[in-house]
Amino acid sequence: MDIGDMLERMRDPLGAPFYPPALQVLLVVTWVFHIFFVTLALGSSAFSILGFLRPNEYRLRLARVAARLTPNAVGLGIVTGIAPLLFVQTIYDPIWYASNTLSGFWSVSFIFVVMGGYSLAYLFYLKGSADGRLLWSAVASFILLFFAGWVMHVLASVSIRPERWMEWYAPGGVIDTRGVVFHSWNIPRLAFLLPLQAGLSLAVVLTLFAWYFRRIEEDAPFMTWVADRGRWLGLAVSPLYALAGLLWAATEGAEFGVGMPVGIALAAVGLALTGYFFFLKQPMQHAPRTLLVWIIALVVVGIVREGIRAVSLARFGYSVSNYPYMMDWGSILVFGVTTVVGVAVVTYLALVLYQSGGTKRDAQVSPRVERLGSIATGMLGAWFAFFILVGLYTTFFLK
Amino acid sequence: MYPVWEGFFIHSAMFVAIVSAFHVLASHLTVAAAWFNLYLERRAVYENRPELYVYLKRSALGLLVFAYVFGAMAGVGIWQTTTAANPRGISTLIHNFVLYWGSEWYMFLIDVVGIIAYYYTFERVSPKTHLRLAWILALGGTGTLTIIVGILSFKLTPGLWFETGASLNGFFNPTFWPQLFMRFALMFTITAAWALLIVTGLPNGYFARERIIRIAAVMGLGGLIVALGIWFFWYDPTLPAHAKTILRSPAIPPITFTVIIGGLIATFLGLLFALVMPRRQHQIIALGAMLVLFAAIFGAERTREVIRKPDIIAGYMSSNQLVFNDLPARGIQREEQPLNETGMLGALPFLPRPDQISVAATGASSHQVAMGRVLVIQQCAACHNVSNQTAITVFDQRLALRSLAQLLERRKMTTAPKIETYLNGIGAFPYMHPVVGTPEERAAMALYLEYFLQQQHAPQSQAQARR
Repeated sequence: MDIGDMLERMRDPLGAPFYPPALQVLLVVTWVFHIFFVTLALGSSAFSILGFLRPNEYRLRLARVAARLTPNAVGLGIVTGIAPLLFVQTIYDPIWYASNTLSGFWSVSFIFVVMGGYSLAYLFYLKGSADGRLLWSAVASFILLFFAGWVMHVLASVSIRPERWMEWYAPGGVIDTRGVVFHSWNIPRLAFLLPLQAGLSLAVVLTLFAWYFRRIEEDAPFMTWVADRGRWLGLAVSPLYALAGLLWAATEGAEFGVGMPVGIALAAVGLALTGYFFFLKQPMQHAPRTLLVWIIALVVVGIVREGIRAVSLARFGYSVSNYPYMMDWGSILVFGVTTVVGVAVVTYLALVLYQSGGTKRDAQVSPRVERLGSIATGMLGAWFAFFILVGLYTTFFLK
Repeated sequence: MYPVWEGFFIHSAMFVAIVSAFHVLASHLTVAAAWFNLYLERRAVYENRPELYVYLKRSALGLLVFAYVFGAMAGVGIWQTTTAANPRGISTLIHNFVLYWGSEWYMFLIDVVGIIAYYYTFERVSPKTHLRLAWILALGGTGTLTIIVGILSFKLTPGLWFETGASLNGFFNPTFWPQLFMRFALMFTITAAWALLIVTGLPNGYFARERIIRIAAVMGLGGLIVALGIWFFWYDPTLPAHAKTILRSPAIPPITFTVIIGGLIATFLGLLFALVMPRRQHQIIALGAMLVLFAAIFGAERTREVIRKPDIIAGYMSSNQLVFNDLPARGIQREEQPLNETGMLGALPFLPRPDQISVAATGASSHQVAMGRVLVIQQCAACHNVSNQTAITVFDQRLALRSLAQLLERRKMTTAPKIETYLNGIGAFPYMHPVVGTPEERAAMALYLEYFLQQQHAPQSQAQARR
């Protein structure tokens, strides 16, 4: 069967419920948040291990913070990972499902690997991070979390090479239903997306940490040190990031005939970050801006990643823009209303978290945030009324 | 349509079952625990009873670590396992309901950010603000429940969706409301066990201990009684006739009901014991209650999944991932019928043409057997053990999910001609669809199954000979 026909046939006959390119944009945007927390988890895990292996007063103190950050970042990485998972299944179902079944054992093991990594990170934080005991659990956690990243990398790599699927599924004419073989990977891509981005996410969060606690006067020297570490880490990793981007372009990029644009984009991101961190003389004061810069960089990476996928599939005539769709107004309504409510409530929760920390003195949530809280909670309650009304309308009138 | 992942040692369907039972336990717990904690926190605030915060803080930490994060991971685990086990089934759900799932994700985000805010702001914000966070957690958790039940219940009763093709009709389907309220009630039983686990872990001198045990026990018993009432008077009557037939068929092993009913009785008695003798409670008893509930949930969820068999989406897609009914409202035509004429091999992606299938490398006795293996895996492996890859042998006992070899042997269908006759008549069973493919393909399937049966006996007879 021709690969183009195969891909078209594998698309779900129901089609997408909304304009597919819009779902593609949501895929990129939500992936940015996901990869930020995933790489932060890896970065903070690595830092906590190094801090305990080569301790001094400040390093130990920061290593304890990093040990606490790791499981929380894993949790947020999982939560934010669900959204891109939804969108990738909707518009890239042929490649996502094929890749998951070809690597079935690892796809299923992924979750147990992450659970193990998370549990060990929590074990180290709760039982070992005070004095550095159980460091093995932190190391094992890092290895497991990195391995989980490797599995996802392999799934993505397999998914964009449909021309090789039959060769992998039925080598020598015998179908292999074990799903235990790692069929495809690209080391520069992996290095770029995981360890190097982990360094950069950690660098950015170190400056943010110092900025958040800047009002505690007795901690000022420590916070300055932390922010400087963030800047130096960013400065050290960014050129390597540019280099790995070039290698990614020269390997996977060249394989799909887009080596030049990928190389220019990724090298430019790496060099721009190098320049940014070089000229960042007051890292603590400018931490929010640094976060913004890093988010923009991740958006560029997300677009490049999406571009490679699109080019790979365009070889066989597959395009998101011609994915069949039918506007499903019912689900659009539910999603739209829930988005408004969800954003309001999460904003309130984030503001409460922000205002209740950052200082050792008694913190209070401001009256403006309290007002937002009343409105947001009311909206959440009203959501149920909306939901029941839609349900009743559907049950009695939508026939 | 997609490659088949049979599983490895453990059948792919069992991976789904284990992960989803754990997810149900954790996710149900989060919802009702949020309401229980809200109730206690309201009493703490309005009756000025700060001792209740000791329990609330311990419970929140447990929920943060166990229920929310492990529950979330198991939720992602359901995606991974269902995708690997039955990609087209999950694809149908995604393409119908992706924006509902997106809505559920918002609610879930509220849950996760909410529990972080709730736990880390104890004594850092005013009691009124903290109480608001408790409200948000309870409402957000209930939001996730209401949305996911629409998608889950669709698989059993798509309802008017067949006529309109509209996702709303699929979502608010005939079993949606009873299942929603039944689950909501049952959640309080799970939460009662959780509350007992947390409160018995607090120091013996904690003087709100007995009061909390009593409140939890009453709530848990109430939830159980209401849930059973909904089952008997609302959910069961709403079930389609086909599901009721399956419920009483051999598709569900009797041990399942023993586990469910036994689990419910044990839970009822355990909670009654807690209510009457709150002082005699111990963490081990509470842990035991959680394990009993896990077993009962495992049985109940498996049953819920089985009663729509042989379909993955009742009335639309069979477990072998082929659409067997037209859906005119969405321009979809059935796939099984044309494949009976053209044949399966070479007609679908990942089903190689006969000339592409190798004999030598499989160790099969003939090309027909090698062809049959591909077809049996495609059509039967979603529910049955059809190879040694998904079986474990423990003390000469072969553990396999609905092994076709054992099943055929039990029915004395041990030769290819008999198996072929059996395959041709299989559509008469309520939990089976007719086998898809040409007569030649069915003959090849029969030959493979005969070969598979012989394979099962070879190592055993050798082992017996050794003894």
